[in-house]
Amino acid sequence: MTFLREKRAIFSDLSLRIPKGKITAIMGPSGTGKTTLLRLIGGQLKPDQGDVVVDGHSVPSLSRKQLFELRQRMGMLFQSGALFSELTVFENVAFPLRVHTKLPEDMIRDLVLIKLESVGLRGARDLMPSELSGGMSRRVALARAIALDPELMMYDEPFVGQDPITLGVLVKLIRQLNDALNMTTVLVSHDIDECLSIADHVCVLSGGKVLVQGSPEEILQSDLSEVKQFIQGLPDGPVPFRYPANDFAEDILFAGKDGVAG
Amino acid sequence: MFGWLQQIGHRVLSIVAGLGRSAQLLLAALMGLGYVLKNFRLLIKQVYVTGVLSIAIIGVSGLFIGMVLGLQGYSILVDFGAEDALGQMVALTLLRELSPVVAALLFAGRAGSALTAEIGLMKATEQLASMEMIGVDPVKRVIAPRLYAGIIALPLLCILFSIIGVWGGMLVGVEWLGVFDGSYWGNMQASVSFTHDVMNGVIKSIVFAFVVTWIAVFQGYDLEPTSEGISRATTKTVVHGSLAVLGLDFVLTALMFGDF
Repeated sequence: MTFLREKRAIFSDLSLRIPKGKITAIMGPSGTGKTTLLRLIGGQLKPDQGDVVVDGHSVPSLSRKQLFELRQRMGMLFQSGALFSELTVFENVAFPLRVHTKLPEDMIRDLVLIKLESVGLRGARDLMPSELSGGMSRRVALARAIALDPELMMYDEPFVGQDPITLGVLVKLIRQLNDALNMTTVLVSHDIDECLSIADHVCVLSGGKVLVQGSPEEILQSDLSEVKQFIQGLPDGPVPFRYPANDFAEDILFAGKDGVAG
Repeated sequence: MFGWLQQIGHRVLSIVAGLGRSAQLLLAALMGLGYVLKNFRLLIKQVYVTGVLSIAIIGVSGLFIGMVLGLQGYSILVDFGAEDALGQMVALTLLRELSPVVAALLFAGRAGSALTAEIGLMKATEQLASMEMIGVDPVKRVIAPRLYAGIIALPLLCILFSIIGVWGGMLVGVEWLGVFDGSYWGNMQASVSFTHDVMNGVIKSIVFAFVVTWIAVFQGYDLEPTSEGISRATTKTVVHGSLAVLGLDFVLTALMFGDF
């Protein structure tokens, strides 16, 4: 699959298979298109070439109606949580149940409370999203994402900016949810320790291609210098840390000549 | 050498592309009528937000404009001994022109800008994207109820503007300046035609409501999801909305009241 953004290739001939029923971690440096990949799987973006197939359905060629039907079997946890700001925590989690099912109100209530209890926020049901901390927002968003028991669950950077307690809870929750609901999980992150601790399958992306994929052990033992640099967090290596620029000394000494420093 | 030509071409192409996207959004939102009727509470809520919450500004503006018309009209008409025609002048000015136009301009400033900012923030905080991923079409759920609510709310606000304006004119003309109230109301009743004046004014406000709300929801839906993008889009809603109202007012006036 190839995907371009303003003529720049985010992915070029990317080929990736996500095993059913397992946790697949998509890792890679910032700007490699990890979130874009999730949006391509969810059909929010269309590839310029190639195909994205989810459970036998070619996502880019689905009609709008078919795509929305397929999305009812998917769940996605956004980096920001993306809770509906005008609804309470309870109503946020109840939202997918109300729009996609005809369940009676008391059953919706029970289901919402079960989902909220699973993320430890049953007591916060009457709060508004603006009253929640970042970690709590993400947990409510997780409860909402699993409200319809999706077959495919996608997490976009779930560990970013979380305190150690929330981080530990999230890692445990992702594993438990995957196993209990027998779902397929795609986890996009660059938190190496957390990813490698729960993933069954890991895929490292860089430069629009898959560098390496396999079990966490295979990734740790990889000889590829890009993978080693990423896993060990080294600034120098094949993956450039610095944005391309002219010579630093020249930039300092001749400051002002190009009008930048006055 | 041809840099400026390239820039003009780029600008024209982006305007045409924007018009295309706005037409697509409008069509999709209009097609969401079934969804809106099925989820009637969404529409009621938006009518409250865009309409009921605009009543104060519309009411106060209507009152002052009516009072100014009463005062100005009296000072001109009294020179010709025609102050008895004050009611007729106030009513026709309001019904035909001022109510639809001023109500639409105020609506663009209060409700239109709020719509753009709200939808824009929903986009910037990924609420629209998450709604899509839940399997709910944001055009039907978010855009369509707001579009229909605007089309319902503004004509009602326009009628309210006229009523309060006529009362404001009466307050100044009759109560303060001593115009005979029988001639104020009687001349108004004799000269105002329901189909020609009242209905044409309402038709104008329906057209303005459609255009202003369309601009507002499109600017919100299409903006760049940054704080600067939201600020630019909100400004565009008010500027484009106001210009569209004034331009369309001339066209509609020519069609409705022009003798050709």
